[in-house]
Amino acid sequence: MIKYLKEYRFYVSLFLFLLIPVIAIDTSTRAPRDYRLYDRMILGITAPIQAGISWTLDQVVSGYQNYLYLWNVRQDNVALVSENRKLLNQIGVLREGQQENSRLRNLLSFREKFTLETVVARVIAKDVSTEFRAIRINRGETAGIHKNMAVVTQEGTVGRVLRTTANTADVVTILDLLSSVDSIIERSRARGAVEGMTDEICQMRFVLRTDDIQVGDLLVSSGLGGIFPKGIPVGTVAKVRKKPYGISQDVEVHPSVDFSRLEEVMVVTRSESEAILTSDAKPEKAKTR
Amino acid sequence: MTRLLWRLANAPLFVLIVAIGVAIQSSLFNSYPLLYLQPDVVLIAVIWCALRRGFDEGGILTLIFAAVAESHSSAPQGLFMIAYMAVYLGARIANKVLVIPSLSTMVMMTMAASIGWKFVYMLVLTLMGHSSGQWRHMLWLLFPSAAMAGATAIWVLRWLERFDWNTYKDPRARQGPEDEVPLDTVEGF
Repeated sequence: MIKYLKEYRFYVSLFLFLLIPVIAIDTSTRAPRDYRLYDRMILGITAPIQAGISWTLDQVVSGYQNYLYLWNVRQDNVALVSENRKLLNQIGVLREGQQENSRLRNLLSFREKFTLETVVARVIAKDVSTEFRAIRINRGETAGIHKNMAVVTQEGTVGRVLRTTANTADVVTILDLLSSVDSIIERSRARGAVEGMTDEICQMRFVLRTDDIQVGDLLVSSGLGGIFPKGIPVGTVAKVRKKPYGISQDVEVHPSVDFSRLEEVMVVTRSESEAILTSDAKPEKAKTR
Repeated sequence: MTRLLWRLANAPLFVLIVAIGVAIQSSLFNSYPLLYLQPDVVLIAVIWCALRRGFDEGGILTLIFAAVAESHSSAPQGLFMIAYMAVYLGARIANKVLVIPSLSTMVMMTMAASIGWKFVYMLVLTLMGHSSGQWRHMLWLLFPSAAMAGATAIWVLRWLERFDWNTYKDPRARQGPEDEVPLDTVEGF
């Protein structure tokens, strides 16, 4: 037996080298992958390096921008841009709230509000592949971050937590091929799933041809799936293409978050949806994670 | 004895170097538009394994490097393993058929491997049903990525040559002390 193994060693090795990747890809299609011991060992080495490089770059860039050039103007600009984003987000939330209020008043006259508890984290690395668009953040299990938590910024939805270590977490952005966020058009309430496509564009799938969708419509998360709280901006409709056949239409979505300048994110560690019934009914709390 | 220990440490150190390289690649090139110019450190290491390691050792290292890359990506497990293994086997076949004696030919091979790698990668993605809208994106980045891989390979391959020399992995470095000559004076990079 050993003699044969030695004689055909090359073929045995070749067979194993081809078999191992196939087994790996087969197991990954059956169950989503989490960090294993060897992954954690690798990340124990690479994550501090990534955090160090990210911190150094940040210091160099901000030092260059803040102290060498137009310190005050830069500060004002940053503050105004931040305020502008917050206000735009507030407008979106208010519009959504207004429509939601009128709709629910017609139904059961109850209202729903959200309380989000978040952990702020810094982006320390991006995916090694240009086709997959995950990011790594510098907060993990010790900060209370777990798998499948929503990740947002003041601009809107960023993605969900894919896997975690003690001090880092990988986030699948909504641009990633493996991402899917159930969303609704704010104006017409048309529903679909927003999936990643390129570095700047997502696609909204499973949208009926008859649904009223126009360029510029705002998309918000529907709350289905239990990961993203309802009403968080996802993006705006960039292109609508109706084919002469079929039951669906092609919708391209421009994400509300500027991923090319993503530096800090908020991980939603707890989202509380409080549903209050009409005055003659008892208030009831419903928690979603 | 010291030389033997260094030789034994070569593979673990090589894995460590690649892991550090991936960390630098994913954090230094994480900002727009640099993210489109990420040099693929793992690909260069795989080429090195294909040309300068035995079949078994190189294959095992290729699988380990692919696992390192996968732990820094949201790509499905096994995708990088298949793509890098295809590059590894392809490079070995090319090494049998073609003569690859110099740095310039190895750099050209790295560039060709970068293009081949992308196609294998997209083929597997297509078979897995994740490739919608990605082919055009891949074609846009195909040649810039290859150029970046080639430019990086010039430095990385030289550095790996020196690394092999210092850890006595290079057959020329295993000669007796009386035969030892400085690296710069022997044939190589």
